[in-house]
Amino acid sequence: MRKFMTLLWLEYRRSWVWGAALIGSLAFWAWGLNQVSASDIGEQLGIRAGLLFFAAGLGALVLCFMIGRIRSETRQGQYQILLLTPPTGYVHVAARYLFAFAVAAVYFMGIGGLAWWIVGSTGLVLNAGTVAQLVLVCPFYLLGLVLIPLLSWTLLLMIFVSAYRISGSGWIPGTVMVLGSPFVLNWYGDWLFHISYTLPGWRLFETVRALVESTPWAAEIDTSGVTALVLPQEPLWGMLLLAVVMLVIAGRIWQEVEG
Amino acid sequence: MLAKLDDVTKLYGKNDGLRDCTLAFPKGEVVGVLGLNGSGKSTMLKLLAGLLFPTAGRVTVFGGAPRANRARIGYLGENDALYTWMKPADAERFMSGLYDDFDAVRYRELLDVLAVPRRKTKAMSKGERGRMRLAMALARDVKLYLLDEPLAGIDLLSREKILTSLVREWHTDEAILLSTHEVAEAESLFDRVLLLREGRVALDASAEALRSEGKSVVAAFREVLS
Amino acid sequence: MTNRDDWLIDMDAGPIFVQIAKNVRRFLARGDLTVGEKLPSARDLAARLSVNPNTVVHAYSELEVQGVLETKRGLGTFVREDAPVETMQQDLLRSAAMRYASELRRLGVSTKEAMAVLQEVLDAGET
Repeated sequence: MRKFMTLLWLEYRRSWVWGAALIGSLAFWAWGLNQVSASDIGEQLGIRAGLLFFAAGLGALVLCFMIGRIRSETRQGQYQILLLTPPTGYVHVAARYLFAFAVAAVYFMGIGGLAWWIVGSTGLVLNAGTVAQLVLVCPFYLLGLVLIPLLSWTLLLMIFVSAYRISGSGWIPGTVMVLGSPFVLNWYGDWLFHISYTLPGWRLFETVRALVESTPWAAEIDTSGVTALVLPQEPLWGMLLLAVVMLVIAGRIWQEVEG
Repeated sequence: MLAKLDDVTKLYGKNDGLRDCTLAFPKGEVVGVLGLNGSGKSTMLKLLAGLLFPTAGRVTVFGGAPRANRARIGYLGENDALYTWMKPADAERFMSGLYDDFDAVRYRELLDVLAVPRRKTKAMSKGERGRMRLAMALARDVKLYLLDEPLAGIDLLSREKILTSLVREWHTDEAILLSTHEVAEAESLFDRVLLLREGRVALDASAEALRSEGKSVVAAFREVLS
Repeated sequence: MTNRDDWLIDMDAGPIFVQIAKNVRRFLARGDLTVGEKLPSARDLAARLSVNPNTVVHAYSELEVQGVLETKRGLGTFVREDAPVETMQQDLLRSAAMRYASELRRLGVSTKEAMAVLQEVLDAGET
């Protein structure tokens, strides 16, 4: 446990600037969202939502860069030191991943919070349950579906590339992995889609339509598109499983390769 | 026997590597691993440390695979480095958190003896960095130390400090393998010297035995390489 | 004896342990070291001279065998009270004389001339 905590501390010291910058950028996005003003509510909402999705995407990219910084360590020699420390590759991978996950969680809850603000600025008052769905459930669902496997994949890729750099073939396995991944993902995604809703989905935002229709500006927008959301469980579990598998492979590579 | 190489061959790169090496390292010896660049010194130490795996043959450390026994080996690589934002106190936290045999008190004493400034490593000279990494390695209470070019690129005074520290820290139940170019400077430290030439052991002798034949280690070195 | 430069250790001059023993005898002969005096521990001396501690241990045992040193359990290594200091002085003198003599032979100088030079040097008080 002490060793895991030390590695976590190391990861924090190594990457805190990235985390701070990312979370700090939420203030920037908040300001940006505030600047948006449009003639009608629907357009304003649309632009803001778009901006928020962009912030989420950019955040995901930054997180990938943060977790993927291994090549410089291989070049500068820190990797060789880490390789010979007692903890197994799994523990090293887990510590790096946990830190990235913690930063991601805070960031995406922040995004959720901004989403709540956007909704609130239209005059809509959401009850506690709906707020929780917006700020917690949605972000974590997206996190689990997209970001968690993406981070695992990035970590696995960079460990893969660094590992084979030593023997010289470097980019070849990396390229294979990058090119092969969309096919695997496509096949896997299709299968997950196919088995979706076998288990009951999670119903979100049940009350939203009624809420929207009760607002003064409801007449201006097309409320037919505002329905409850039913999120399928299977893709989430499927992607989480994939993420775990990739992390296990990454840990295994870490400890089996030459330095 | 603390470590063994059984008919070990390691091929990689164009010139580097080791060929058909069989060696045994008992406790109580300070062994100088000498040779020109590319002669296989680093390769030998990396194989013993578990950073590299042999193409043929077997490397045994403490009766098992080196990587599996990494917690019991003190390896100081030539090219490895700490994070540039780390200060000696951070390195202490790193080492004591990951190694059970790390003696923090001894580490701090060594930092003082070796005059390591309490700054981030990016603000240190090469000599200061080298001394700090040596303090980290010697503060570990292990039986096998593998030091790859601990004197390389380090100023004269630092080298003297390092050699003196090595003498002070060594114990009879330990083995130290030290590779260096500074043969003249370090030769008085070695019980035994291994001279490598193009990946093979060209000479394996006791330093004092060489001297009773009237040859300093430096002289033997030149003789083997010519 | 405390200064590292006083010790004459040359990597090309044979085994280090032999040289260390020679140095100890030299210090005794010259009075830099006295009978009954304690010597540094093997490790301390090794650190000072930057040599392998085993060589110092070897030197100390040699000197013990030769009746120059003795180890007192728990206290350290000491020069024996009955250490043959005079013999060492004689040996040192003799080897200095032999070096002078061999130089003479190489130069082809007569004994008379050699003695005259020696007398001159001693009278002038040069060291």
